[in-house]
Amino acid sequence: MTDRLRMPAEEQFAAELAALAGDDSGRRPAGWAMSPRAVVTYLMGGRAGDGTVISAKYVGDRRLIETAVSTLATDRALLLLGLPGTAKSWVSEHLAAAIAGDSTLVIQCTAGTDENQIRYGWNYAQLLAHGPRREALVATPLLRAMEAGKLCRFEELTRMGSDVQDTLITVLSEKMLPIPELNTSVYAARGFNIIATANNRDKGVNELSSALKRRFNVVVLPLPESAAEEIAIVTKRVGEMAASLDLPAPKNVADEVARVVAIFRELRSGSTEDGKVALKVPSGGLSTAEAIAVVVGGISQATFFNNGTLDAAMLASNVIGAVIKDPVQDRAVLGEYLETVLKKRRGFEGYYAALTDRI
Amino acid sequence: MPASVAFFGIRHHGPGSARRLVEALDALAPRVVLIEGPADASDLLPLLADPDMVPPVALLTYAEDNPADASFFPFAHWSPEYQAARWAVNHGAALRFIDLPASDRLTPADDADELAASDAVTRDPIGALAAAAGYDDGESWWSDVIEANPAPGPVFAAVADAMTALRADRPLPAREAAREAHMRLEIARAVRESDSAIAVVCGAWHVPALAEKRPQAADRDLLKGRARTKVRATWAPWTAPRLARASGYGAGVVAPGWCAHLWDAGDRENRDSVWLARVARLLRDRGHFVSTASVIEAQRLGVALAALRGRPAAGFEELRDASIACLTFGERTVWNDIAAELLIGSAVGAIPAAVPLAPLLEDLQRQQKAARLKPEALERELAVDLRSDSGALRSTLLHRLAALDVPWGQLVDAGRSRGTFRENWRLCWLPEFAVRLVENLVHGATIAEAAAARLTAAMQDEADLGRLAALVRSAMLADLGAAVEIGIAALETRAALTSDCRMLLDALPPMADIVRYGEARAGAAAHLTALMPRIVVQAALALPYAARGLDAEAAAALRTSILAADGAIALAELGPEVTESWRQALHALLDDAATTRLVSGLAARLLYEAGAIAADPIADLLGRMLSPGTPFADAAGFFEGFFAGASARLIHDAALRGAVDGWLMGLDEADFVTSLPLFRRVFAGLDRSERRRLLDAVGNRGGSGGAGYRLTDAAAAHWPAHFAHLVDLLNNGARA
Repeated sequence: MTDRLRMPAEEQFAAELAALAGDDSGRRPAGWAMSPRAVVTYLMGGRAGDGTVISAKYVGDRRLIETAVSTLATDRALLLLGLPGTAKSWVSEHLAAAIAGDSTLVIQCTAGTDENQIRYGWNYAQLLAHGPRREALVATPLLRAMEAGKLCRFEELTRMGSDVQDTLITVLSEKMLPIPELNTSVYAARGFNIIATANNRDKGVNELSSALKRRFNVVVLPLPESAAEEIAIVTKRVGEMAASLDLPAPKNVADEVARVVAIFRELRSGSTEDGKVALKVPSGGLSTAEAIAVVVGGISQATFFNNGTLDAAMLASNVIGAVIKDPVQDRAVLGEYLETVLKKRRGFEGYYAALTDRI
Repeated sequence: MPASVAFFGIRHHGPGSARRLVEALDALAPRVVLIEGPADASDLLPLLADPDMVPPVALLTYAEDNPADASFFPFAHWSPEYQAARWAVNHGAALRFIDLPASDRLTPADDADELAASDAVTRDPIGALAAAAGYDDGESWWSDVIEANPAPGPVFAAVADAMTALRADRPLPAREAAREAHMRLEIARAVRESDSAIAVVCGAWHVPALAEKRPQAADRDLLKGRARTKVRATWAPWTAPRLARASGYGAGVVAPGWCAHLWDAGDRENRDSVWLARVARLLRDRGHFVSTASVIEAQRLGVALAALRGRPAAGFEELRDASIACLTFGERTVWNDIAAELLIGSAVGAIPAAVPLAPLLEDLQRQQKAARLKPEALERELAVDLRSDSGALRSTLLHRLAALDVPWGQLVDAGRSRGTFRENWRLCWLPEFAVRLVENLVHGATIAEAAAARLTAAMQDEADLGRLAALVRSAMLADLGAAVEIGIAALETRAALTSDCRMLLDALPPMADIVRYGEARAGAAAHLTALMPRIVVQAALALPYAARGLDAEAAAALRTSILAADGAIALAELGPEVTESWRQALHALLDDAATTRLVSGLAARLLYEAGAIAADPIADLLGRMLSPGTPFADAAGFFEGFFAGASARLIHDAALRGAVDGWLMGLDEADFVTSLPLFRRVFAGLDRSERRRLLDAVGNRGGSGGAGYRLTDAAAAHWPAHFAHLVDLLNNGARA
């Protein structure tokens, strides 16, 4: 075990990547570490040619991943849209790891990101000492990806200002980055491309300009369609995260995950799973990722404070934290849900009691 | 020279096989074309070449004595059978249907078989093979696998091979066996009669069985003793949506629009671009911005996806996924929005005037005779007593026709019948009704069937709860039990999913009508009596939130809805618990300071009328709501909410009157003048004598009835002088 809390995908899954690349007869687009079909297998899971089991990185519609991979194969940029917690960054990291063998060329976009962090910056000591020259240039992940023919990832693209976003237009359409100070340009090597992620729920983000938007192919990652699918995702990720945090997983994790997911799905969709009772929807997104966080938090609390017994009481405060983002409105929503739905449902008595107690 | 028989196994409604079929027929030039279809309808085939015949059309066969017992065989212009028939007519080849005649009835034993046989594989074997290979669209599989066969050979031989493999050790239901026996015998007959090439066009599934040599005696044995009935056949116009499998047509295709595109585009190079251009145009029509560059990118992505999936060319799924990624910016809802128009289309077929009479008209004539109603162009009144059988029959017929958009009769006392046993109709037959009736053939072959199908379709499309309930009500009036049940089920699901308070409220009046009608009509409203209380409770929960901060227009609309719903709840008599929750909602409206005053005024009155608030508290409430501390606009709103439509209450109710009087007297002049229109609106509901009684009541406050003033002894003496003064004032007005 390493000291690092988390390893990049290409290191964590190095064996799988090597197995897939080693036995890949498909045609590889220039600059790709493996064929598009092998990339899809890497994400969706399956078996490599030599029999190595490939774990599923994304649980959901295969078509979406196929569209994403094909997009990158046509040298078009890929924009992954979705609610918070729908595995956008996760998919983007694994795509970069599989296609370019390197998922670390990341630009985290924020309201404070400026053009220097996208295009290039200057090493002012060099600049003053020697004047403008290539050595004085500080390359950004984008510039490095262009030169090396790799994938550059933009996290939360819509968080940075629109004027800064538009820097990407030339890069995307002409595959080159002009450096007027040196009267030169950097031309992208084959294999270069961009994967951006953005969230389509929050207000206050900077909408993409239509000029930029139409340079992306957009794949919207949905929330899991069926309860079973979502339970599978949560159980799998909880297992992985508990392992990496050295938390022993209690035996009843699967049952509690099913209950938490049921509560999340009903509140999120605004009606009970059987469609018979309409519910109000809380202001938060209640994504799958939050369900995972709730269960992992519950496990951690159970490990350190409850002798490792995971029960409704351990999870309740985490559930409340996830559901109640607006102290007045969401409290009413959760209260109504408890009274109209959970009160009468068998198997949820513990949740009803614990949640009513804490709300 | 003995006749040679060529078998063309096609995919029903498969444009790919239609195209190959026409090529094959051109190459073979047969003199006889035999098609899988009811043998006794062969006479109608030449009509297909009539220029006035516009597909989609359906061959309709129905039992002479019972048009409800009908079968439809729809043809689109890209159906291989249609193309084969046209080819034969245009080339002067003999043309016949060879399947079991329509007069051959289903025996009960067949029925069970039919269920077993109607699995996906027998119905659309090519679609089943495609699905097994991971294709959503059978046509893409056809072109990828059958046509782009690495060892290019005759397409139809490849199909026959595939079917032979697929049919191996699958049991053959009795009816299927009889059909194939009949077809074999017909083919044998054609071989005897002709000495030139014969083309047999049938579902791919049947090819191995038809090509097989079997003793004819055995086939004849299979056909012995099958029940027969008299049938008629005709053509009926059809619609593109009814070709879609989603419409309930088992042999339908998933996307008629895509099939039509495949047929129209043929083998042309730009097939995908044409499709994507259509997608782009539809998106633009809906106000989305779609650039040509994006269309180009969509096409590139489609090609890349096909390569990734190992397919020779981009097909339906690739183009769909690419359109979503490039043209709708990943938004599946946008795609779903255009999908109906793109994939289903709205084409309607037409039939020439020469086709035999439509069964709906026959059915109408029969029912007119039974109900003793003659179509007359002159208006006449008809009173119907629903308690008598003949009355019920007439009413049902008229209601069903109304559901088919054939308003032969119009209800004179339209709207509320309040469960009475009498209906008054005004009858007037217009010639275009016959045309409209024939258009309804799409929905069914009898009036009852067509009305039920049409109402059901409308119910499934209707998003508005109130209008849905009204549709259920018409279905109930028209005595269409199945449609009523579907409608009630739809009401249940919609009601569970809607949270719009007004929609819920608006659903209540028609539902109350139905519950009441349950008594006058022999129809079960049991479901509804269970559903209605739930909707009341749901509406009651939503009401306090819906009544907050409304503008004048929305408040007036909500007030109307609450008023109607309150009446409906009283009418339906749903039990004390439901009434109680409704009352609680009204109380909540009253207690919540954020409620729009117009609505809280109404809530106060409804509660007062129902006796849920006593006279004293209501006077206090009015006093408080109308007191000088309340902003004038709020007070006026409450006043209007309370009294609009109920001003007569003021005559009889001294306590209310006192509160109102006190408020009015306390208004300063500007406010009073501003609100004069409001008072006029409220008091306009009173007629002349009521108005006088109200004035009397107000004037008498200090008089005989009330406490306070008493007549002085000298009153009688003073009166003449006062009277003269008053008359003078009234005549000349007050002068300065």
